[in-house]
Amino acid sequence: MAWYRRFWNVLRPGRMRRDLERELSFHVAERAEELQAGGMSEKDAKRNARLQFGNFEAQVERTWDMDVSAWADSTVRNLRLAVRALGKTPTFTVTVVATLALGIGANSAVFSAISAVLLRPLPFPDGDRLVSLAQARPKVSQPFVAPVRLEEWNRLNRTFQAITGYYSEDESETSGELPEKLTRALVAPRFLQVWGVAPAVGRDFSPQEEHFGGPNAVLISDRLWRRRFGASPNAVGKTLRLGRSSVPIIGVMPASFLFPERNVDLWSVSPPDAPYAQGREETWFTAVGRLKPGVTLAEARADLAAVQAGLGRQYPKPDSEIAAVIGPLKEATVGGVRQSLWILFGSVSLLLLIACTNVAALLLSRAAGRGHEVSVRFSLGASRASVAAQFLTEVLLLALAGAVLGLAMAAGASRLFRALAKDLPRIEEIALDWRIVVYSLLCAVAATLACGILPAIRGTGRDLAGSLGQAGRSQVSGRNPVQFLLVGVQVALAVTLLAGAGLLLRSFQELGRVSPGFDARHVLTFNISSSWGETVDQKAAQRRIDRILDAVRAAPGVEAAATAYSLPGVPTDYQVEMKSEEGRAETEPKMLAQGRNVTPEYFAAMRIPVLSGELCRYEPNTATMMVNRSFATAYLAGSAAIGHRLSQPGNANVPVSEIRGIAGDARETGLDHAPVPTVYWCFGANGPGTYFLVRTRGEPQAMAEPIRRKIREVEPLRSVYGLTPLGEHISDAYAENRLRTILLAFFAVTAVSLACVGLYGTLSYLVNTRQREVGLRLALGALRTQILRQFLGQGLRVALAGCLAGLALAAVLGRLLSGMLYGVSASDAATLGGVVAIVLVVSVVASLLPAIRAARLEPMQVLREE
Amino acid sequence: MGTKKNDILQGTLALLILKTLASSRRMHGYAITAHIQRVSAQLLRVEEGSLYPALHRMEQEGWVRAEWGKTEKNRDARFYSLTAKGRKQLMQEEENWTRLTEGVARVIRYA
Repeated sequence: MAWYRRFWNVLRPGRMRRDLERELSFHVAERAEELQAGGMSEKDAKRNARLQFGNFEAQVERTWDMDVSAWADSTVRNLRLAVRALGKTPTFTVTVVATLALGIGANSAVFSAISAVLLRPLPFPDGDRLVSLAQARPKVSQPFVAPVRLEEWNRLNRTFQAITGYYSEDESETSGELPEKLTRALVAPRFLQVWGVAPAVGRDFSPQEEHFGGPNAVLISDRLWRRRFGASPNAVGKTLRLGRSSVPIIGVMPASFLFPERNVDLWSVSPPDAPYAQGREETWFTAVGRLKPGVTLAEARADLAAVQAGLGRQYPKPDSEIAAVIGPLKEATVGGVRQSLWILFGSVSLLLLIACTNVAALLLSRAAGRGHEVSVRFSLGASRASVAAQFLTEVLLLALAGAVLGLAMAAGASRLFRALAKDLPRIEEIALDWRIVVYSLLCAVAATLACGILPAIRGTGRDLAGSLGQAGRSQVSGRNPVQFLLVGVQVALAVTLLAGAGLLLRSFQELGRVSPGFDARHVLTFNISSSWGETVDQKAAQRRIDRILDAVRAAPGVEAAATAYSLPGVPTDYQVEMKSEEGRAETEPKMLAQGRNVTPEYFAAMRIPVLSGELCRYEPNTATMMVNRSFATAYLAGSAAIGHRLSQPGNANVPVSEIRGIAGDARETGLDHAPVPTVYWCFGANGPGTYFLVRTRGEPQAMAEPIRRKIREVEPLRSVYGLTPLGEHISDAYAENRLRTILLAFFAVTAVSLACVGLYGTLSYLVNTRQREVGLRLALGALRTQILRQFLGQGLRVALAGCLAGLALAAVLGRLLSGMLYGVSASDAATLGGVVAIVLVVSVVASLLPAIRAARLEPMQVLREE
Repeated sequence: MGTKKNDILQGTLALLILKTLASSRRMHGYAITAHIQRVSAQLLRVEEGSLYPALHRMEQEGWVRAEWGKTEKNRDARFYSLTAKGRKQLMQEEENWTRLTEGVARVIRYA
């Protein structure tokens, strides 16, 4: 009660001061009343009472000191004692601080990622009101929204402040010496209004600029502003040369504005009233909206569903089968990494628990060794609470030192995350802020309680008071069940973590062993800037791409060159429904397939075999395509597929194409996805973002410069960028997988090491306290191997019990991982067996050292020393 | 009011307060000074400047407990009462005091 009150006083000085002033004023008032009753005038009475009381403020001050100082005194005394006690045992101190620093540091580091990525709202004003919108159609996975529909949604709804959209493409900016590739976001009107962000320099688009045929205008990124214009405010008003047009810069966005992608350099308007944007099937915007204050997601959904139903009546085809999908923008941004981050957080929390358990065991041993000190203090009149408070102060000091070191670790964490998973969403927001500091301190307090309470209670037991007389003369010590329980818990938790890490490692390995049906080695990929406008004349675009491919093939060391709209092995989903022109029975399954656009040499470049039929070619009057084996067997009775003509209903841009051949199955949609039915249109001019894939004889990266030079000969005004081996793209696509695997493995190894240190420490302590007993037994003729076996057995029994508990725990928690595993089940016997084997071997080593020491004791020496 | 000071011997204030509180259920600070003054027949006068720091110090030690309440004139005041620990402390201080005065008396007699 009193302790709590004092603490309260320190925390809430304002309230306490008011109370004090109230109390003292009462005194003065009473005195004045008495004086008045004695015949003084009211004024004189008050004055006299004041005078007699002396300086009111000074009295308040003095009394206040009493309230706080008693508490502060004992705290300072405890701290001083703690520092002195810890200084006397430097090894112990360093071990505990390091253990706690590791536990708290790893925990804070992962928490800093969780706080930045998952917990904080998106970095925009009222970021929780931002939502993502998409149009959904049965059977077609295409989230983009048609410009006309976007405008109608925006005009007809009642729940949104504004709805906007964007898409991006890569541009060549040619006002400099060399063409420079810039990423441009083309945005619908109201773009900045939705984000709630204003340009740092200059202004937003004007209404005229948001209309078709209005003046050109572009906003540039802070990065481009610094790089090209040295952050000069005069940059506004200068022009950039993009393609064939000059575009004036009207403003610079703040450095923190990284949407829609973190590498966007330019924002300009894509006017929805343009003639080419009027088709209800022309979809290209990724839509975002800002809800009005107080509107819930459900209300917005109902509202937009009503709007879309109205459009469905007005334009039955295609709007009647389109639905509006709304979700929080934050979910769309970070939803994919949520599970990974929480799993990492769970594992570092286990790690912290192990660290605390470890420290608790160390403290117990220390407390047992201090029985003498404690009994002396009891006999001098110290209360149990004050001795326990001093013990806890020591632990708090250790935990705080650990937290400070841990914070230093967490500060470097953002760099680690960037190195391991540079595409993690919102990674640039991971930073050390007050939240992380507070969190670490909370960890320290929690750790203090977790590791300190038990030793404080056991170490100050009343029975110690009587032990003064026989201190240090324990004959045969107790069984120490608590210490061994703590060690067992550590082993169990370490086994759990190691099992998790083992399963992830195994699936990572399995993923590497997959034969994907294509050969990603020796393939260089790159992009060449182009714009969506150029796709209008498809023939010309195809001719341009062929010219570039011919130039690339002319470079020595190139085996094959092709383009593809998406990279094989990198998860991409473009599902289409195909229709046979020859007609199929209604009862047959719908032809759902992944759609890919490639030039004919793609199959040679990727080493995907043509199984039957022939390779597609450009034919003057017929569009051609290839299908993979899965598609042919699933829908077209195998090789009968050749010659079949397929169309894609609902997409007027795709001509009816004739199947020329059947290609082998390849894991186009990601290494961890089994091949699915796939169609390849033999057509390469799909617009910006098309990948060029070049099979090289030697190291692909070495070919980057020769290829760039060749392209410059034919296309001097386009920039070539993103020259990256295909393998790197694929491994980047699995970066999150790698991040959690590497981190979990690191945590698991740390956990096992800690558990080992715990086992070693506890056994060593046991050997120390039982030296006399061991000496006696040796003197009475016990064999050294018996002693060895006894201590070793004790260590192994604990380890084995821990392993069993750990396996049970892993079986429960393994289910959390099951969605992330590939090629292994969560209860994979080989992995779990291996984990147990590793832990047992390590436990043997950890127990062997103290056991050997016990067996080597010299009985005479030990007995004489006592 | 007289201005002559009747300083209370260092260390005896706590004893006086404890004893005062032992005789009543609860008292506010002003009542404590009034009580001591009255009972000692105006021989002892408690300085306000010492009374409140002492009361708060004793509260921190756990000898007295304080709570807000109303006086009979319906004013807010902070009332102090003795705790079990305070009762023990009182016994000890009374014993000390007896021993001290006895000791001093003997010395004076013999000197």
